[in-house]
Amino acid sequence: MNKIFTILISIILLLSISCKEKLPLDKDLTKKNYNLINQEGEDVVFPEIIKGHIIVMGFIYTHCPDICPMTTHNMYLTQKKLKEDGIDDVKFVALSFDPDRDLPEVLRKFAEIRELDFKSWTLLTGDRTTVNELMKRFDVRAIKTDENLDEDGILEYSMMHTDRISLIDENGRLRKNYKGSTLNIEEIVNDIKTLMD
Amino acid sequence: MNILLIILLVSFPPEDKIKINNVWMRTSSQNMATALYFTIENTSEKADTLFRVDSDIAGKVEIHETYSQGDMMGMQKVDFLAIKSKKILELKPGSYHVMLMKLKEDVNDGDKENFVLHFKQAGEINVTATAKKSN
Repeated sequence: MNKIFTILISIILLLSISCKEKLPLDKDLTKKNYNLINQEGEDVVFPEIIKGHIIVMGFIYTHCPDICPMTTHNMYLTQKKLKEDGIDDVKFVALSFDPDRDLPEVLRKFAEIRELDFKSWTLLTGDRTTVNELMKRFDVRAIKTDENLDEDGILEYSMMHTDRISLIDENGRLRKNYKGSTLNIEEIVNDIKTLMD
Repeated sequence: MNILLIILLVSFPPEDKIKINNVWMRTSSQNMATALYFTIENTSEKADTLFRVDSDIAGKVEIHETYSQGDMMGMQKVDFLAIKSKKILELKPGSYHVMLMKLKEDVNDGDKENFVLHFKQAGEINVTATAKKSN
């Protein structure tokens, strides 16, 4: 009996070491709560909303014409591949680093036009200070560029930003970062499967 | 003489010096921005430049390039794109693109939109882009 128990413990330890080797990053995101707003305009607390699920998290702003739609589409393709492989309990979160313009209704429209399903997807915005603090936790940066006033006196700008998708495990720990716009779908799907093992 | 010229032109129309292929745009929503992509093939003996794009669906249109700086990405306006003789220039995701700002309507998957590309040598070229969700 003792022998079987020892073998079982050894197998668990080996699997755990193997996962650690494949995903060496292990940053606890649960130490601080961040009060944010989702695409429905509801107050939500991060990371409370992600606990218990593997999360694919992207960092975007909706006025971005090129990189952020690529990042979002790569998250969509990840979800599609996971579904094809029979995995449908992974959640997808997109945090806007442009909260001044990305109000909940803007995020909702951004998701709807891309046919993102709100059962699995949450888009987040919030007050500037909170969003900045959370971005710092992920080492994500965003800087306004080309600021100017349009003919109606409305401030226009682009943003230079970290190109990022992050993988978070079921315990709210950051396990891997990827380049969002050029994400290798196969790689992240394999990493998710490693976390599920 | 004029009739002969017309017959010749109809029988042997001049070849396009600039060929535009793979025209597509990304889906987006009203008031937001999106990108238009295409390939420019310059078959002529002279270089040409794309310096303006007109669109009825955008409040503002600019030619942009996406650039990277470390792990950060940004984009900036460029005044024109030069296409050397006998060369192909690709406007594609993560690179050069036409930025369509202040969209007047939603652009849904499968929508078709018309654009006028202005070249210094080749003049105006009309193209139609199909909207896609893809990268």
